[in-house]
Amino acid sequence: MIRGVAGAAIYFRTMAVFAAVWWLIAAWTGNAALLPSPLLVAKAIGELALDLELFKHAGISLARMLASLALAILLAVPLGILMGRVRIADDLLDPVVEILRPISGIAWIPLALFMFGIGNALPVFIMTYAAFFPIVLGTISGVRGVDRRLVNAARTMGVSHRAIVTTVVMPAAAPALLVAIRLGAASAWTAVVAAELIGAPSGLGYAIEWYRELLMTPQVMAFIAMVGVLGFLFDAALRSLSRRFTPWAPATA
Amino acid sequence: MNSAAESRIARAVAVPVILIGVWYAWTTLHPTPRTPTPGRVAAAAVDMIASGDLPLGVLQSVGRVFGGFALAAAIAIPLGLAMGTRRAIERNVDPLVESFRPIAAIAILPLAILWLGTGTAAAVTIVAYAAFFPIVINTVAGVKRVDSTLLRAAATMGVDRLTILRTVIVPGALPSIGVGLRIALGVAWTAIIAAELAVGAKAGGGGSGGVGQMMFVFYAYSIELNRIVVCMIAVGLVALLLDRMLRALNAWLMPWTH
Repeated sequence: MIRGVAGAAIYFRTMAVFAAVWWLIAAWTGNAALLPSPLLVAKAIGELALDLELFKHAGISLARMLASLALAILLAVPLGILMGRVRIADDLLDPVVEILRPISGIAWIPLALFMFGIGNALPVFIMTYAAFFPIVLGTISGVRGVDRRLVNAARTMGVSHRAIVTTVVMPAAAPALLVAIRLGAASAWTAVVAAELIGAPSGLGYAIEWYRELLMTPQVMAFIAMVGVLGFLFDAALRSLSRRFTPWAPATA
Repeated sequence: MNSAAESRIARAVAVPVILIGVWYAWTTLHPTPRTPTPGRVAAAAVDMIASGDLPLGVLQSVGRVFGGFALAAAIAIPLGLAMGTRRAIERNVDPLVESFRPIAAIAILPLAILWLGTGTAAAVTIVAYAAFFPIVINTVAGVKRVDSTLLRAAATMGVDRLTILRTVIVPGALPSIGVGLRIALGVAWTAIIAAELAVGAKAGGGGSGGVGQMMFVFYAYSIELNRIVVCMIAVGLVALLLDRMLRALNAWLMPWTH
């Protein structure tokens, strides 16, 4: 990761070398539709940002991302706590999770196109599905990783089952839970482009495909860069949230 | 078999059986010509396997995954070893890795199609791109986790750098590399389905094949939901098999981690 001024200097040096090599290959290719120069891409980013098109599609994708992540958390966290705490719930539900998990969210796209048609529901469904499994599995292992002595101590002191979950299990499992949410978010963000590329009339994936068909490669690259920047910022935001809400968590990951 | 094991098995199959029962009941009570029913899906599966279409599509996709995966491993493992052992290399290369990592493989697909067409070359490139990041990151992490006492001991005894790499660093980093390869293969399988779907969707169904494209053809041209469900089940089964295969390979290569 980048740390301090020296880190930033190295970062920019590396990216400058990358841009220079790219520029040379672009000059050698001499075909802006095939490989535009970094300058052309920067210009495209500027233009798309100025007429707000870049932010419009980014905002739509981001809104879908937030909705999906919220939905996945609402479904997966309670389920994960239940499966992590209650043996019979785990015995019953784990097979279903393990049967569905290998079927990637993207493989649901054709069937989901029938179920939801083209629009907001399709990408939100696909992204929720993609985020669900990392969150549910992370919650289960987080809940199971809670020190048994803490739970037993609370039980000995006559704390109710519900209070044990809210005051002992949840705080202890929170760091693992936030890591799981980050993994879920990364998984959902991977699916967003595929879902929008095929099944949405808006968003970053749609924009990438739109400009590809027009052979406007600088614009295609501008939107691809936006996918990367937003993915990075979203993860950075979740990481700083983790640090703020679970300062007791180990500083790894 | 004791009764505890029996009741565990009973619990494990209970919910899936109930769900299939509900699916069956629902589709029997509300019959429509296109809705997939358990019977129709089973019939479609038999038909697709007997005709050889499904095995062929799966083989094509799996072949692409292994091609791209091998390419990614061939680049990412040496790069990861270099980054893990040489601080200067890591500092200079890491910005590139971290900048491209949040860009999903499928976002690169339009460029791959532009440069390499809609055939196997583009698909393999997408797979290699997707598989690259988990392998490189886990290789670097693995190298850094090698016990520094071992490194110093080897250096003290005058072992040359290449031998240290071969006999100390690589075996020490192997468990982490194995994890990276396993994650990468899963990601690669997801990426190939996405790539084939998108190629099917956006290149007018032009023949590039694979399970992903089969699914899209069933969606867009012949409208056979039963066959889409069969493809989804196949996708899940292959994902499971690939994961089990790499787990077995890791256990066989590194018996000391188990």
